[in-house]
Amino acid sequence: MTDVVFPVLDQTKPETEGVLATWFVADGDTVASGQLLGEVQVDKVDAEVTAPVAGTVSLLVSEDEAVVQGAPIARIE
Amino acid sequence: MTLTDTEQAPQAKGGRRLSTSKAMVEAIAQEMERDESVFYLGEDVGAYGGIFSSTTGLLEQFGPKRIIDTPISETGFIGLAVGAATEGMRPIAELMFADFMGVCLDQIYNHMAKIGYFSGGRVKVPMVLTTAVGGGYSDGGQHSQTLWGTFAHLPGMKVVVPSNPADAKGLMTSAIRDDSPVVYMFHKGIMGLPWMAKNRRSIDLVPEGEYTVPIGKAAVARAGTDVTVVTLSLSVHHVLDVADTLAGEGIDVEVLDLRSVVPLDREAILASVAKTRRLVVVDEDYLSFGLSGEVVAGVVEADPTLLTAVRRVAVPDVPIPYARSLEYAVLPRHDRIEAAIRSVLP
Repeated sequence: MTDVVFPVLDQTKPETEGVLATWFVADGDTVASGQLLGEVQVDKVDAEVTAPVAGTVSLLVSEDEAVVQGAPIARIE
Repeated sequence: MTLTDTEQAPQAKGGRRLSTSKAMVEAIAQEMERDESVFYLGEDVGAYGGIFSSTTGLLEQFGPKRIIDTPISETGFIGLAVGAATEGMRPIAELMFADFMGVCLDQIYNHMAKIGYFSGGRVKVPMVLTTAVGGGYSDGGQHSQTLWGTFAHLPGMKVVVPSNPADAKGLMTSAIRDDSPVVYMFHKGIMGLPWMAKNRRSIDLVPEGEYTVPIGKAAVARAGTDVTVVTLSLSVHHVLDVADTLAGEGIDVEVLDLRSVVPLDREAILASVAKTRRLVVVDEDYLSFGLSGEVVAGVVEADPTLLTAVRRVAVPDVPIPYARSLEYAVLPRHDRIEAAIRSVLP
């Protein structure tokens, strides 16, 4: 089991919340290592989130949900 | 911010989903890998990745010799692209907003569009002019027009307008490979940008590998029998939303996504109208002297007896307002589309 975390885009204020902007996969999808999973946004900075390992993905947060940087947003088993 | 006030689509399992912008970028990257003569130039297309994410990541992949950030100099860099194309390159030049065409129109319609004609077909201009179009996000009258009718009115250019991620990829690949100049107009509201739209269909399945969509072929986005709605770009999604609503009342709407304005798939329009006998054209361009009139005229010319009722839903002949309420009043949105469809039914 591997957690996928919200990347820390604002290094100066790691406690800053961002938004899970877009999921490109659905809960329960099988994903390949390196596959694009979603996009996140902190202030006006966007970043892609890719799968660190292959497996079945569980989404822990919804689109448009606010998330603290570094917090888990998905799990791959 | 929303451009379509609809809930998120149920997420399909399996397959690979991309946003429209990522699908566009994938097509450009695949063609740049395949063909060394393809390069991209425009304002903010390098490190910034395009203001509507049309080139995200391409600078890192291909470097500054093939992803060229230009100064604010549309006449200069579009002219550069025209010259490079006549010498055998396949440039893609990005005009940031279609609204800015005025500053570089001579290069577009006197040079890009006409060199093939002037040379008797001996000189080809295999370039793509990409440009962002459309409103719905309060960006004012000089950043919100679609203007495809203007480009289509000036002969010598193909004009393609995707409405979804797969078509965005397939039409971009076809545009790059085409030996004619192709204007590729992408609506900001279909791009799936994190900071702008939550259009539920702007993220969808996109074929991996090489994928083309033929230029000049419309697509039946929804089959129906009661009324034909001919449309394109973001309006496809508004019309599909309305069609879903009306289906609950037993009204069966056929939705034709033009995908290309030039060439216009007149056969597909006629085939659909021959079935339904009722036509609504939904167009985010201005009402007068434009695409909506062309579609109706084409049907009437082909067979004046074909239509029993026709309506056009377009932007009235006014600049797009900045104020959200006024902007929504002039754009072809769900309420006006639904009223037009109801008005042509018996």
